[in-house]
Amino acid sequence: MTRLILSTSNIMTGGPSIIRKPGPASNLEFTNSLRSNFLAAQQDYSPPLSAAKENGNHGDIEKPSSVRPPSSVWTSRDGSDYYIPTIDWSLSGLSEEPSQYDVTVKLFYLPGADVNSRGQYAKDAIQLVLKELGVQSIDLLIVSFPGISFEGECEWEADKKNSSQGNDDEEVASWPVFEELYNQGVVKKLGLAEFGSEKLSKFLSRVKVRPKVDQVNIKDCCNVPPPLLKLAKVENIELLVHNDCTNILPSGTLRELLGQGVKGAGVLSESKRSLEGMKGDLTPKWVVKYTAVVRDRGVIENKGYFAVAELKE
Amino acid sequence: MGLLALGTPLDWPEAQKNANHVREWGIKQLLNIWNKAKGKEKDALLWGDEIEYLVVNYEKDKPEVTLSLRQADILHALAQDENLCSSGGCVPALQDIGGSTLPIFHPEFGRYMLEATPGKPWGIGFKDLLDVEPNMRLRRKIAKEHMNPEEFPITLTTYPRLGSPGQFTTPYYPPSGEKLRSQFVPDEIANPHIRFPTLAANIRSRRGRKVQINVPIFKDKNTPWPWKDPTVNYDLHKYKEDDDVRNGASPDNFIYLDAMAFGMGSCCLQITFQAKNITEGRRMYDQLSPLGPILVALTAATPIYKGFLADTDVRWNQIGAAVDDRTPEELGEKPLEHSRWRIPKSRYATNSTYISEDPRLRKEYMDPNLVIDPDVKQQLMDAGMDSLLATHFAHLFIRDPIVIFAEDLQELDLSKTDHFENLQSTNWQHIRFKPPPAGNDIGWRVEFRPMEIQITDFENAAFSVFMVLITRAILSFDLNFYIPISKTDENMSTAHKLDAVLNEEFYFRKNPFPTRSPRPYSSNGPRSGTVSPAILSRPPTPSGPIEDEYALMGIDEIMNGSKGDSTNNFPGLIPIVESYLDSMNVDVETRCELAAYLDLIRKRANGTLWTAAKWIRHFVQGHEEYKGDSVVGEKVNHDLIGAVIAIENGGRQGVRDVEQFLGPVVKPCGD
Repeated sequence: MTRLILSTSNIMTGGPSIIRKPGPASNLEFTNSLRSNFLAAQQDYSPPLSAAKENGNHGDIEKPSSVRPPSSVWTSRDGSDYYIPTIDWSLSGLSEEPSQYDVTVKLFYLPGADVNSRGQYAKDAIQLVLKELGVQSIDLLIVSFPGISFEGECEWEADKKNSSQGNDDEEVASWPVFEELYNQGVVKKLGLAEFGSEKLSKFLSRVKVRPKVDQVNIKDCCNVPPPLLKLAKVENIELLVHNDCTNILPSGTLRELLGQGVKGAGVLSESKRSLEGMKGDLTPKWVVKYTAVVRDRGVIENKGYFAVAELKE
Repeated sequence: MGLLALGTPLDWPEAQKNANHVREWGIKQLLNIWNKAKGKEKDALLWGDEIEYLVVNYEKDKPEVTLSLRQADILHALAQDENLCSSGGCVPALQDIGGSTLPIFHPEFGRYMLEATPGKPWGIGFKDLLDVEPNMRLRRKIAKEHMNPEEFPITLTTYPRLGSPGQFTTPYYPPSGEKLRSQFVPDEIANPHIRFPTLAANIRSRRGRKVQINVPIFKDKNTPWPWKDPTVNYDLHKYKEDDDVRNGASPDNFIYLDAMAFGMGSCCLQITFQAKNITEGRRMYDQLSPLGPILVALTAATPIYKGFLADTDVRWNQIGAAVDDRTPEELGEKPLEHSRWRIPKSRYATNSTYISEDPRLRKEYMDPNLVIDPDVKQQLMDAGMDSLLATHFAHLFIRDPIVIFAEDLQELDLSKTDHFENLQSTNWQHIRFKPPPAGNDIGWRVEFRPMEIQITDFENAAFSVFMVLITRAILSFDLNFYIPISKTDENMSTAHKLDAVLNEEFYFRKNPFPTRSPRPYSSNGPRSGTVSPAILSRPPTPSGPIEDEYALMGIDEIMNGSKGDSTNNFPGLIPIVESYLDSMNVDVETRCELAAYLDLIRKRANGTLWTAAKWIRHFVQGHEEYKGDSVVGEKVNHDLIGAVIAIENGGRQGVRDVEQFLGPVVKPCGD
């Protein structure tokens, strides 16, 4: 078994892939920035280019896949961990001292991942983020469980529908690791994503360290379901807005990102008989998004994603 | 408005003799600030807005509307209340404002004007952004409470019948005063503080004639053609300046205005940002410069001058002409003999310099016709200032100081900045780079000056907040809006055209995103050990032809992004701001309010909603008393002012076309 660790590096200066397109919440920011980071790494770690390319225009990502360098050049292995692309940890860290930043992290548990391993996933994800940003703690950690959303034209209806989504018991059972991170001071504030009034109220009654934030994606942020608004007020929970989709990395998308196609990274083989790339069953486990904002200037200095998938060869 | 120090002002020939003196001391003061503050670091984002009001006398059933000249009395009444407050005996109306600091009121050039700023600067906390609009409303309310019942503070850029024949001020004063020598407005139109009449008189003296503002008349179906401004008197012989009109100052088909009040008596919406340090300030200055004309076109609100519909929608050029102190030699009308150089622009104009030490700043973007004082530049560089910044100040210092107080010439006080500010604050460029002031902890700042004031505080808050958010997005995404600075001049002129927001195209950079730098230590990246984490050095300046970097775009494309039929692939300033917000922790209530602001701007840009200029023009043209001859008569003016007051005072129902202007009534958030 190989653990694939995918990363975007800092996407703030990554160009158009981070600009929102009209339409509903999507994972385009994430998938586009993964793709452009793969291409960038392939360019950077290839043998130096001939004089013909020496116009400084390294941003050209429309490089044909036919000249794709071997993955060994731009990825790296560390035991059973496989970094796509390779990460140069000497370049990690923020420019000012950590106290100047608000660091927000959102952990997406993906459907199909092992519920019993959620504790380990959380620790792994936090560790990668702390290392990448060079900080000791996180100001806000938001947990996104699979299968929950606000759907429907009417906000009442969406709130109602939400109550039967997800799996309350599993969600509560996954919480102690976050309480532990909180008690250790690694995380200063905990949050949830997409919890409607009923789910939230049940959740609050069953956990020791309560979430202080509920991050919701509602079609029109002016139409928050009134029961949720009321509950948040009574329980002193901040309702924040987000624009992520819950299933941020379906396995088909991941296969395409890593595959041999024109837009793929060429890491994974297309078929069992293929000569190129790794073979096996691929399961995306979790994705983590991190954002570091200079607090009193409102400037986002670093934002990126890590994703982990398991490959059974 | 600049400094209001008291003293004995020098008349023009005297002032000019001392111009070098002031400039020399100004440079010394500048170097002193620069040396002290060039290493100032880690200042927070603080920002402030300035709202300017006209005060009108309006009664529903009384046909006459006038400007109130009671500025001094109103400010006195406000100051009395503030004194009461500080001594603990505040009137209830001023006490009950929820613990926030009281707004501050300032005098302005026009004696019918007020300026109000928040009591303390705003931060970037999103709750602060929510406080902006209520605070603007509060300012208006407090101002109103210190006025007579028939007086109203309104936020039109200009008073439509300023300078029209008959009475347009209360009290009435006759025109043709000694200071302004205007045919149309009395000297009493200006703030009586000695600085203001002196400013107007010395600009006139330096120029050698009155200022000359020619606004193209809007040709309507019954407008006589050629159109001759019927209000011009060719038979006045009181001052030598009365010859101006006989010498062709009032050409056919243009509304003729002849005094500083027609320009500096306009209201604007200005935003000032504090930067982290001088480097960030210089970067913001450069990046905001190309946005100026775009925001002018979007906020267009000035379709009427002196009782006539104009063929332009914005105030900018009129102010430029209203304070244009250039001599005929500087204007290029006569060979250079006494003046030092020809100067292509008025003191009030689009900016002419880029100042950021940014590798993306290509020399091709610079103004090829930039005039600088080479001695000033040398002096600054000898003191260690870099060439870019020295060039900027050497450009500002080509001007003469206009108002000099005799008392200030006695002794140079390096702890003050008065002589530097004398030049700096009378260079009214659309964006201003402001060094830290003396004697407090304020940092380097950038002032964004071109926007027109909007009729409602909702709109004023929307544009202010948008500007704050776009600066955050520029810094976060490391955006690059550079175009040749001469294109910004062209854009500003384009922004004046009727409905430029929908009909005109502007030069704008197609790809605002940074070029990715290769990873250090990789086979194609830099190998030096000087690369610090997180801030990787920018890649080398791209060297393609600059003409490929920008294109002509409509405001809709610039604000909302390129559509399928465009090859520019520009993401749009509003989607950029939304992407910034998506990466921030914003609560639902704030996001809802911000969505309403962005929606207003989006719809103004795509034509769903009208600019104030279009709404006012439609209001006039659809009025029963309007005769299709471009004349905005007293009754039309009365009803227009009435509608403007009603819109901002909860009476928008029944106001004609108000939904096209402001959209349907937005229900309160979170209900």
